[in-house]
Amino acid sequence: MTSLPLLVSELVQWRATEAEVEATPCSLIPSREPGTGEQYRFHFDMSKCIGCKCCVVACNEQNGNPAAINWRRVGEVEGGHYPNTQRHYLSMGCNHCVEPSCLIGCPVEAYTKSPTTGVVVHSADACIGCQYCVWNCSYGVPQYNPERGVVGKCDLCHNRLSDGEAPACASACPEGAIAIEIVNVAEWKASYAAQQTPGLPAGEDCISTTRITLPAHLPPDLGRVDTQHLQAEAPHWPLVFMLVLTQLAVGSFSLLWVLDAAGGLVEASRAGALLLGIASVSLAASTLHLGRPVYAWRALRNLRRSWLSREVFALSLFAGIAAVYAGALWVDLPHRGWLGVMTAVAGAAGLLCSARLYMVPARPAWNSFYTPVEFFATAVLLGPLFVSALGGAELRTVAVVGAGLQLGVQAMRFLWLSQSEAFELRAVARLLGGRFQNLFLLRMAILIGAGIALPLVVTSPGGQAWALALALGGEILGRWLFFVSVVPQSMAAGFSTSRGAA
Amino acid sequence: MKNWKQLIGLDNLSADYSFARGESTGYTAAAKIPDTWVPTTCGYCSVGCGIEIGVKEGRAIASRPHAAHPVNRGKLCPKGLAEHYTIDTDNRLRTPLLRKGGKLVPVSWDEALSTMVERFRGTQARHGASALGVLSTGQLVTEEFYTLGKLVQLGFGTNNYDGNTTLCMASAVSGYKATFGSDGPPGSYQDMEDADVVFLIGANIADNHPILTQYLHNKPGQVVISADPRVTKTAMRSDLHLPLRPRTDLALLNGLAHLLIELDLVDHAFIAAHTQGFEELRRFVAEYPPARVAEITGLSQEQLYRTASLLGRAKSAFLAWTMGVNHSTQGTETVSAICNLSLLTGKIGKAGSAPFSITGQCNAMGTRETGFTASLPGYRKFDNPADRADLARLWNVEESRLPRARGGAYPDIIEGAVAGRIRALWIIATNPLVSFPNQSLLRHALGNLDFLVVQDGYHPTPTTELADLVLPAAIWGEKEGTYTNSERRVSKVNRAVAPPGEAKADFEIFLAVAEKLGCREELYPGWTCVEDAFNEWRRVSAGRLCDYSGISYALLAEQGAVQWPYPAGATEGTERLYGDGAFPTADGRAKLTCAAWAPFPEQPNRDYPLILNTGRTVEHWHTRTKTKEVPILERLSPHAWLEMNPRDAQAIGLRSHDRVSVVSRRGSVEKVELRLTEIIAPGQVFMPFHYFEANVNEVTQSAFDPISREPNYKQCAVRVERSGVNK
Repeated sequence: MTSLPLLVSELVQWRATEAEVEATPCSLIPSREPGTGEQYRFHFDMSKCIGCKCCVVACNEQNGNPAAINWRRVGEVEGGHYPNTQRHYLSMGCNHCVEPSCLIGCPVEAYTKSPTTGVVVHSADACIGCQYCVWNCSYGVPQYNPERGVVGKCDLCHNRLSDGEAPACASACPEGAIAIEIVNVAEWKASYAAQQTPGLPAGEDCISTTRITLPAHLPPDLGRVDTQHLQAEAPHWPLVFMLVLTQLAVGSFSLLWVLDAAGGLVEASRAGALLLGIASVSLAASTLHLGRPVYAWRALRNLRRSWLSREVFALSLFAGIAAVYAGALWVDLPHRGWLGVMTAVAGAAGLLCSARLYMVPARPAWNSFYTPVEFFATAVLLGPLFVSALGGAELRTVAVVGAGLQLGVQAMRFLWLSQSEAFELRAVARLLGGRFQNLFLLRMAILIGAGIALPLVVTSPGGQAWALALALGGEILGRWLFFVSVVPQSMAAGFSTSRGAA
Repeated sequence: MKNWKQLIGLDNLSADYSFARGESTGYTAAAKIPDTWVPTTCGYCSVGCGIEIGVKEGRAIASRPHAAHPVNRGKLCPKGLAEHYTIDTDNRLRTPLLRKGGKLVPVSWDEALSTMVERFRGTQARHGASALGVLSTGQLVTEEFYTLGKLVQLGFGTNNYDGNTTLCMASAVSGYKATFGSDGPPGSYQDMEDADVVFLIGANIADNHPILTQYLHNKPGQVVISADPRVTKTAMRSDLHLPLRPRTDLALLNGLAHLLIELDLVDHAFIAAHTQGFEELRRFVAEYPPARVAEITGLSQEQLYRTASLLGRAKSAFLAWTMGVNHSTQGTETVSAICNLSLLTGKIGKAGSAPFSITGQCNAMGTRETGFTASLPGYRKFDNPADRADLARLWNVEESRLPRARGGAYPDIIEGAVAGRIRALWIIATNPLVSFPNQSLLRHALGNLDFLVVQDGYHPTPTTELADLVLPAAIWGEKEGTYTNSERRVSKVNRAVAPPGEAKADFEIFLAVAEKLGCREELYPGWTCVEDAFNEWRRVSAGRLCDYSGISYALLAEQGAVQWPYPAGATEGTERLYGDGAFPTADGRAKLTCAAWAPFPEQPNRDYPLILNTGRTVEHWHTRTKTKEVPILERLSPHAWLEMNPRDAQAIGLRSHDRVSVVSRRGSVEKVELRLTEIIAPGQVFMPFHYFEANVNEVTQSAFDPISREPNYKQCAVRVERSGVNK
């Protein structure tokens, strides 16, 4: 056959380099267990994959998952020009990262990384369904199962592996494109950054262990095919209300303390009681976000690492101290200033924790200083409007500052997003300027109308109440947009399938 | 609906999602561990994979590859891995349905079959026996095809009988017949693995026969060449892709024959000993010099020389094709032109060498051999008196009862209904309301009928909805028999679960119809089960090319799936045909055929500037009657799309994910999701045909191969218009 007039280097585009072929073992699973400093990992050979999705079907069958949940997914990347076109497929389960962001962020410590195998395992019994891992993973690996109220993900079929059997995906693949191998973690940490896979996030935030063999000659424009098909993320209504209302409460309590200390406060007892009610209801309602609200208390378990745990702790503390402060205002307790300080500090801490927990690399549009500033601006806008509407004090100019700040934040954020090189950021601007354009503009108009025009023009308490109601609605809309417009980092999806789907 | 424990999170359904170690499965979801595994053969395509159905408490709950089966090497495609989901679905038909007062209402089998026979006989009495048409399928077991053929031709006495195989592999059949004197794929999958060069022509096996890709690129140095206008998954994984213009394959093949002769890469000894017509062919292909062929195909002369050189110099070459070749008004001639290359180079009947049709349906081969449609059973010819006499003797019937010519082929039966010649129709296990080209003509035809019977496992389907009588059939997993795959391998099909309600195996339905007709004992003496049909078929096939006489159910149980010819007394099947160079023609020589290339019938123009190509996706099977019931496959491929090159889209201001209408002279299909991609050439568009909701066959044309009668699905002229914007 060598006599054939075929210039292999010229023709063969899809094959892996010879060095890669050499490095790839024939067996689907290793013949030994990982030793010290080693772990299992997936190897995926893109040059072999034909995109048949047998792995997806086999995974769903192995794990008894409904069709809408796919712990293994297949995405597509495409490049080149007819007829020199290449389309390749990415098959991915969990990457069993060296520093798993799902595990680090989980407030209830439902994730464990096996010290012997390195497999990242999720416990459905420990999980409360907060879905914070879903936001934290750059690959869209953990998926929420609404029927169960918990998330789930690929566990490398480690129970099959320990029996000497290949994982379902690897054993189903007709091309032998998926295999399990052992990696030396220290060596991988030193070398992983060199692995750049089209259609996959770089993974420096968690150090994915999956090794991917690429075809030898890829067109330079090889890229994801799902960029024109943006899907809105879930709105998380309980969180929308929780965020806006706690921010309102934090802003208002802080103002109560300032006014109280300055002696300019009237109607303090009513305002304090009402605010306490709002804060408590919003915190309680936020448990409705959980798949398993009855276990909400578990969210305090991981204060060491999880910003979600810290948020729950800080906001609970805020509510507790605020209750005492509201009581002090009610009975007109003397020397209550320090209680006010503590309320304001705990509230600010809660607000910052709230913002910080959204600042995850896997959701680039959230992962910026605009998030805390946006949350802070809500407090500065709604706090004074609330106090003013109750007739507590004349704080219209503060509200105008808050509205101006929020307008500025939103405008600058949009500019930043629309000019970004990163797909996940630019795509958010496309959503806000496209599918959600009217709602985004309405939100901005409300800021101008209720946050600036009304407070400056109308002085009656009724007018102030209208301003508050409108501004509150505007901020709720804003937070809804915050959730639905975010474009997560993930593996490139297929063309017909939804983002995050197989 | 969730109960309160689920709502507050006390119950996370851990029992439903528990895992266990099954003896036969290893560690897996507990719900997927069956009591038993029933070995059978996959009911989708003709690759013919061995599969096991997991049965628990009388229900099919799992599918897995049959590890010992010779074809699939322990793997299945995504459809096969989820095949058990097709069985127990909400839309399985459980009782016969008869149209009364405009509505389909459940009736007894007795009433259903009495009505059917009465109506069919009434129509035949008024309009002649041939006023009854029967459209069958490639989905039944061989035993059922054999039984049905006798029932239709001898029982009902009409030869207007054909299968949906005419929409699929008919051109391969007639091409083989023209060249070799008989149908019958000469090679094996093993030849594909052993070949030095694999030349795939209009065959996107990575999508359509994914399990066969396991046979490629195992042999060191094997070169895979793919001729396809679209840069398919298969083309991308080939070593040499020939992106020829649509339907210029015949010109390419003639050009390659020209070059093989010019470069003297032909096997003169083989040609002299085993072929006829070389001189005519040599003179004929002289008209296909590389310059002209390059002009026609859009390929470079270098690509032509390189391909010819690879084919000519290789020790073995496997030339395989599927629908890109068959779905053509020149399909038969193109198949013969492929066979020409094998014959010219003497690469046939040897390890790694064969022209080879990769068939479509699981048992298209079974109906080709036994079916009594395009030929008499056992590849016997209608017009051969000896064949007719032979069959009459075997069946103990008057020879005059055997038709002397083939009746109407599928499109002719449809056109017969339009013209009023066909007045009653029996459609079995096929769904023309998705699959037949030019749907408006088909609807017209079916609307003309006095009586339409549809026999199917599911209801409603687009076709059962139009029926006057719907008969509920058992489907794959519920009945026994055999399938024969693309490489002539006979593989056992077994019953894992009982059919739902009153549904019956097609075999039982055919016997019951014969009973009503009063010909059961004559046609099927003493038959009680499918094995009786198989055993008669063994006798009928004895001595023929497709000789089953040495194959019994007991042998299949013992040896597994085996390849015909397997004559009585043999100890193993036959890997490839024509190893001795003797062909079943009058003079024992294969015929080199001369066929002039012509452009496809409906060329694009200003109003319809694009060439529409149709095809499949790996997740779905044919008209999606089954695969739409499989949630994971629907999840992976939920709707139709139209592929268009970005350069064409830019010119008319379209973007990816826009909704478009595809319009031809015959009709339009609306709101198709647009996919801009460089895998399709400028000037061409592609759409999958599986989706009734966006049925591309509303726009395809009524143009058929004059010999095979296969439709020209692959090219017609369309324009694309925006019907919705992607936001």
